[in-house]
Amino acid sequence: MKLILDLDTHRCSACGACAIACMDQNDIDPRETAPFRSAFCVETCTGEGDKRTYLSMACMHCADAPCVLACPSGCITKDPETGFTLCDNTNCIGCHSCAMACPFGAPSFNREGKMVKCGGCAVRVENGLEPACVRVCGQHALTLVTEEEYKKKHLETSLKKITDLIG
Amino acid sequence: MKDIDRLLKAKIPCPETGIEVKHTICDICSPTCHCGVDAYVKDGKIIKVEGTREHPLNQGVLCTKGAANRDYIYREDRIKTPLRRVGARGEGRFEPISWDEAYTEIGARLNAAKETYGPNSVAFFSGFSKWYRPIFKRFAYSFGSTNYATESSVCFESTVIAWKATAGMFSVPDVEHTKVFLGWALNPHYSDHLTAFNVLQYKEHGGKVIIVDPRKTPAVDKYADIHLQLRPGTDGALALGMAKLIIENGWQDQEFIDKHTYGYEEYAEYVKQFDLDRVAGITGLSPDDIYEATKLFATAHPAAVHQSASPVTHHHNGFQNYRALISLCALTGNYDCPGGVFPMPPTYTIQCAGFPTREHEFADEVKPTHGTPLIGAGRFPVWDAFMDEFQAMDLTRTLEEGTPYPVKALFGLGINARMFPETGRFLKALGSLDFFVAADLFLTDTCKYADIVLPSCSSFERGEYKVYPGGFSLFTKPVITPLYESKSDVDMLCELARHMNLGDPLLEAGYKACVNDIIRDLSVTVESLEQSDFPVMTPEARPPMFGAYREHGFPTPTGKFEFKCSVIEKFPKEWGVSAIPTWTDPLEDEEPYPFTLTSGARLPNAIHSRAHDVPTLRSLRPDPLADIHPDDAAAAGVSQGDMVELYNAHGSIRMKANLTTRVRPGNIHIYHGYREANANDLIGAAHLDPCTGFPGFKSAGCHMRRCEEEKA
Repeated sequence: MKLILDLDTHRCSACGACAIACMDQNDIDPRETAPFRSAFCVETCTGEGDKRTYLSMACMHCADAPCVLACPSGCITKDPETGFTLCDNTNCIGCHSCAMACPFGAPSFNREGKMVKCGGCAVRVENGLEPACVRVCGQHALTLVTEEEYKKKHLETSLKKITDLIG
Repeated sequence: MKDIDRLLKAKIPCPETGIEVKHTICDICSPTCHCGVDAYVKDGKIIKVEGTREHPLNQGVLCTKGAANRDYIYREDRIKTPLRRVGARGEGRFEPISWDEAYTEIGARLNAAKETYGPNSVAFFSGFSKWYRPIFKRFAYSFGSTNYATESSVCFESTVIAWKATAGMFSVPDVEHTKVFLGWALNPHYSDHLTAFNVLQYKEHGGKVIIVDPRKTPAVDKYADIHLQLRPGTDGALALGMAKLIIENGWQDQEFIDKHTYGYEEYAEYVKQFDLDRVAGITGLSPDDIYEATKLFATAHPAAVHQSASPVTHHHNGFQNYRALISLCALTGNYDCPGGVFPMPPTYTIQCAGFPTREHEFADEVKPTHGTPLIGAGRFPVWDAFMDEFQAMDLTRTLEEGTPYPVKALFGLGINARMFPETGRFLKALGSLDFFVAADLFLTDTCKYADIVLPSCSSFERGEYKVYPGGFSLFTKPVITPLYESKSDVDMLCELARHMNLGDPLLEAGYKACVNDIIRDLSVTVESLEQSDFPVMTPEARPPMFGAYREHGFPTPTGKFEFKCSVIEKFPKEWGVSAIPTWTDPLEDEEPYPFTLTSGARLPNAIHSRAHDVPTLRSLRPDPLADIHPDDAAAAGVSQGDMVELYNAHGSIRMKANLTTRVRPGNIHIYHGYREANANDLIGAAHLDPCTGFPGFKSAGCHMRRCEEEKA
């Protein structure tokens, strides 16, 4: 059952509670290791006025994750069950090839120089718990859904848009 | 990795890992948001936190600050033992002493001041958090002083006073059943995330939202059907202009006005001065937007108005701004009815839970009767009429001038000098004290001025009584033992009462005895509440009775909703306080400046200064930033990240520029409480609301320039 960490940007306010919960779960001291998850408000100005987009970002757990191929030590794997991109950094040589390959800047490096990143709180999920970032979110903007639920939700959104357009 | 190592690394609570989940509450911010927290505890240490699903308030979620409780509790600057100052005030050199030595010295020094200068020469002050306040107030009274004050001198109380002066008691909106929600200063995402979710659900079910705010906040971006982005401090003019439109168009509820209000004619006559073009000029809004918002609000029944803690009252004209806003509820008949705004009596430490406690009687029954005026008496007439605490905004002057009598000792729990406008003056004035004792979790810059410093513990390390909306009561249990030699604030007060032989049997019997006395009219007790890890329903709790006050009268001297405040009406003319909500310029007492400075609107990762030194929270916005409109920045040659100086007659601070479309041109927003850039260095100690003494934190004048030598 593939799992997806989904973000509803209409609900997200970039409050960063998810980022803090992630640091708490993973014992990240942001003074020495870049956090796995970050929240942003991106402001854009166009002729029609200004707009703010609220985002929370971490590893996107890409289906065809470029970091997996980039790692010369074979540390990064795709979990066949959940689809999470997992990293066992026992053999990590700190070469940053994964970071070069990742389009989202997800890999971080710990005090020992080894790669660390969001693992989808896979062990929590195995034990019936939600990822820390999902569990904390007061606006229920971050959710963990199955691939089927994700597809269904997006189909419903598309259908609603079309219905609204044709009245 | 072995299974047990995987479980330990993921902090899975189970017998194999020895990780236990224990239930407590967060008290990092206001008592209205003290969410339930699950503490993951291993070997007596908290290793992770999460919201409590069974808690009726937060139902499992936490805000940014709440999620950082572990980092907050284990901050490196926690005070470890009682301390005695050995260096100069502010220097930060202390020697550790025992609790017994501390109590002996505190008792001797407070008594010495009392004997030499009188009981009111000893002042008591509570900052954050507010949970212990009934005990602290009783301690001050039992000691013999009525000079008790809190940070409510600059927080929620001006709003409460405006309600008391108008309808007799504080009131809240019934968002769930309203058709239009007038979100005046509604920005809950970063201050009250639970309200943010409630409004989100209201909105998703088709509710209409108008937002009045000088900034484009997340609430504006997500909820607003109409956003009135007014100039700071012009709220009163907008509300009075809306009133004029409502009356002109016949949208008022004449039946409610005739039956249930006092002073309508005078109010209706006064609002005639606020025609649409004039109001548009004052507020910087378009006349069309004002008209549309007014029509939407006034013609939908029912409509509710958001009640904010202090953004509307943090102005030189704040009290009357708020009264003008409240008046709209009665004018449209949206008061004391479903879907409108309804009276809600507070239960305990500002939380409304639908049942009464003896919170106030508990302190008042030992109140000294010597009649010595409070600090600041006579300076802020509306404050004097409605409050029984001293207005802390007169403390700096009192210490400096020693009039009408000297204040020689100060007992501060959680006292923060950066709350005081012209902070440097306040810190200097502390030098006139014979004795200053401060209790806190952290060795703050203010603690460094104290003679004795006491280590307080956090909510995770103590048991405490709490109430929650919906009729819930809770008595928490500590989830870890207090760190180092720290103690619960109430335990130190009760122990000190015993040590000093205050002659107060309840205080001397301890905190649980005090709480049992406060809730003695209820069928719950500390012992019965301790049986549950979660809040339990209090049998005496009742849901709000809409219309009860319409039927039986409002708790004002006239029994009516007072457009014209009958208490203020009796003030001598020379006090200069209007009984109807009038509008004055928020900067009328200031020199003209090119920019209006607004300080204090919440950041998600900050609550006053108490989160600034929490590493995880600070990492979300490491630098103090000045939010500047891109047009203003361009005119001053300022780019993103440039160091800018903000300065006025009171002082100067430096911050990095953050160019943002959130703010209005001409209006700079900054957060407060930073050690390296203190917003209150720019707020004049006399820039106060003459009615209530509330500071003009949200509108002060300033200049802005780029610091050439520090261009990023």
